[in-house]
Amino acid sequence: MPRSSEPDGIGYWAGVSPAIVLCIWELAGRLGWTNPILLPNPTQIVAALAALVASGGILTPLVHTVGLFVVGFTLAAVIGTGIGIAMATSRRLYGLLEPLVEMLRPIPKPALVPVLFLFLGIGKATMIALVVLAGMFPVLISTYQGVRGLDPVLLETARTFQISRSRMIASIILPASLPMILAGMRVALGLGLVLVILAEMLAAQEGIGFRILDLERSFQIRDMFAWIVVLVLLGAAMMKVFDVAERNLVPWRGRS
Amino acid sequence: MSERLGFDHVTKVFEGQRGEADFVAFDDVTLQAGPSEFLAVVGPSGCGKSTLLRMAAGLVSPTAGKVLLGDQPVQEPPPGVIYLFQQYAKSLFAWRNVIDNVMFPLESAPRARRGELRRQCQDYLRQVGLAGFEEKYPWQLSGGMQQRVAIARALAANPRVLLLDEPFSAVDALTRMELQSLLLQLWERRRFTAILVTHDVEEAIFLADRVAVLSARPTALKEIIDVDLPRPRDQLATREHPRFLSLRHHITASLLGPNEKTNEHAALV
Repeated sequence: MPRSSEPDGIGYWAGVSPAIVLCIWELAGRLGWTNPILLPNPTQIVAALAALVASGGILTPLVHTVGLFVVGFTLAAVIGTGIGIAMATSRRLYGLLEPLVEMLRPIPKPALVPVLFLFLGIGKATMIALVVLAGMFPVLISTYQGVRGLDPVLLETARTFQISRSRMIASIILPASLPMILAGMRVALGLGLVLVILAEMLAAQEGIGFRILDLERSFQIRDMFAWIVVLVLLGAAMMKVFDVAERNLVPWRGRS
Repeated sequence: MSERLGFDHVTKVFEGQRGEADFVAFDDVTLQAGPSEFLAVVGPSGCGKSTLLRMAAGLVSPTAGKVLLGDQPVQEPPPGVIYLFQQYAKSLFAWRNVIDNVMFPLESAPRARRGELRRQCQDYLRQVGLAGFEEKYPWQLSGGMQQRVAIARALAANPRVLLLDEPFSAVDALTRMELQSLLLQLWERRRFTAILVTHDVEEAIFLADRVAVLSARPTALKEIIDVDLPRPRDQLATREHPRFLSLRHHITASLLGPNEKTNEHAALV
């Protein structure tokens, strides 16, 4: 993928290694080195994907996954930013919350799935809670560090203009630490997508995660791979959207 | 609008951390800038000049003694006492364009007045030579222009006292002279009280009515010198004035201390 931030010429080279792998894969399939039932050729997967798109069957699972992800990610971003700023601006809240955060943060979040099943049932609430739990800690930690790392000159400048505490947070602290908050959200984006797929595999009757597992169990391997391709494209698209949003939200990053 | 700002027997001690000795930044400094006065403070680097201004701005409090704005002791940052930092890039709000940076001090005003205040801010930008740059962002401007934005924002805050912490030491020599002249113009127009901290003796003389000379640690007030140079000051005429040169000699000698004086004398013999 050519990106403006990369040195000239890298854009062309970035496509080479995946192309080589796909060629070898295709060739191996055609020469009969692989089992075509377990590992269909890339061209067959593309054909399955095209059929999936043409039939319109791609829509419902995609909407399901993206919907869960967006709700979970948004909640994670809001909660993580809020607690991060609260902990960074109040010693009392820091003292109160820090042990709790340090207790919950290192838990591998999939380990909480059974607990969530018990309390939230097998359904959307569990799936969203999982994405929130996975996404909020990277945002929280990044936000906290971003706020603590703000230059005193900036904060003192704002203080001499007689602004209230709430305005200090909304007009100075939040925008000034936005680059770090977004860095945390970038990590949360990746983790959130992993967790939403896992959640769908374990607790859903719909969605990309559910489809992949379901098609594997019913031995429709080409379609299963087609959905994995959809997932790859979805991840790439989300990163792209995030890149664009970040460039527009913090155009000053690395320049001031 | 201006106000008197005074330091009344101010002592500032920074407590030593982890067994280090306490550090006496100021020892019993009494100094006052009258209403509409331009006071410069010079001293060797590391003598805590910035601490003096930070106390005046209410950002830190003195260990003993009082900082007085008019008759009121300064505890929290008082309204109308505005601090112009040397690090203009850090003091501007990077996420706001130029006009919104300048508008910042006025945003607590009622919405109905916003249009009028915005026009006022455009006028401040014109006064600092930045008309037409309203929609630019700080990172799109040169260092000198960024400091101009900070100056326009300070004007928007309607300063009674403007505290200048080596505001021009991070820009090139020519820009520095332009900004000094600009500052004097604005000061003559608005007549706020100005306290400038600098290690540039010529800058201090060029701008100020009086120059306070501080000694090295623990910092105490060494002497206060009246700058009896005519106004308006001019970058060429003022700096070539014989009185300017003798003041420069006197203050530089005072800063360098008695040892240097002896050397100078020895060299002449």
